[in-house]
Amino acid sequence: MQVYEVFRQEREGEPMAHSGSLLAPSADLARQYARDFFSRRNEALRLWVVPRSAIAEVDDSDWLKPPFDHSYRVPAGYNIVEKIRTAKARAAQAGESEAGP
Amino acid sequence: MSSLPAGISHDALADLLLALADDELVLGYWDSEWTGIAPLLEEDVAMSSMAQDEIGHALAYYSLLAPHSGIDPDAYAFGRTPPEYRFARLLGHARTDWGFTIARRYLYETADAVRLESLSRSAWPELAGLTAKMRREEAYHLLHLETWFTTFMSAAPSAAERFRANLAQLWPDALDLFAPLPGEDELLRCGILPEPMSTLGARWEATVRPRLEAASVAVPLNSATLPPRSGGQHPDFSWLWNEMTMVYRLELGAVW
Repeated sequence: MQVYEVFRQEREGEPMAHSGSLLAPSADLARQYARDFFSRRNEALRLWVVPRSAIAEVDDSDWLKPPFDHSYRVPAGYNIVEKIRTAKARAAQAGESEAGP
Repeated sequence: MSSLPAGISHDALADLLLALADDELVLGYWDSEWTGIAPLLEEDVAMSSMAQDEIGHALAYYSLLAPHSGIDPDAYAFGRTPPEYRFARLLGHARTDWGFTIARRYLYETADAVRLESLSRSAWPELAGLTAKMRREEAYHLLHLETWFTTFMSAAPSAAERFRANLAQLWPDALDLFAPLPGEDELLRCGILPEPMSTLGARWEATVRPRLEAASVAVPLNSATLPPRSGGQHPDFSWLWNEMTMVYRLELGAVW
């Protein structure tokens, strides 16, 4: 018996979203059970059925949440909104003068 | 406006549709008995879902007959006495254990696939359309049962041996799915039935018998000893009939 994780796409173009997991004695039965659990009422366009053992988990907090202060890498630290507004106004003005009489 | 071929009698039409519908209805009820107690939770959901599919197919067949008979599908499903049902002897047996359920269902699904393929070529467009649609759903059932067949055959010797014995025991009753229908000549003449039941039976046997023999099942020789489509007279069925008609009989004609 193995645990399988099931991902489902509900509409074309949408990402595959994790729907849940199931237990099955073989990959064939896992695929069949996935349809019964996650699309027996027309919910899915497509399923991905992945043995949990094939998933590489990264959960080392030193990797994911480094101990040093990295706040300077967060773009929210910059006041970019005001700069964009100014640039747009300048571009609009330039456009008008070019299209003059 | 029905496009039913001319010259077909109500009795002949009922011979076919009640045989098909009763097979599906009773199989659906037996297998729904696994809800909550299947070997694993996932299979519980899968088996219950397939059982519901079969009951849905039964409703579709009864509904095809209803405008020609004036009898409501519920009255067909729950308003008859046990011997009035027309299902094959294969469906008379109680669900028994998991191996028995899978053996019965394997024989049924492989036979139903042959039957549906033929009916999808019926000269009656409603029946051809309905069975073509059912084939798309039954393809999943067949795949699921093929998977279980292989699982049992490669299981521990005691389980595989019991499974083989179940298949051998049920074989003669599975052939009953292809017993000639009383109104078969009429059905064939109108093209509602594209081929005789015996042709379908031979087609099924030609694919399934070698498969079973290759899996070391001691398939018995064919010998019909019991009356055809007499599943309703099986002693196990009276228990199921009581269960499935209990609410219907409580207050006849009740409106929901």
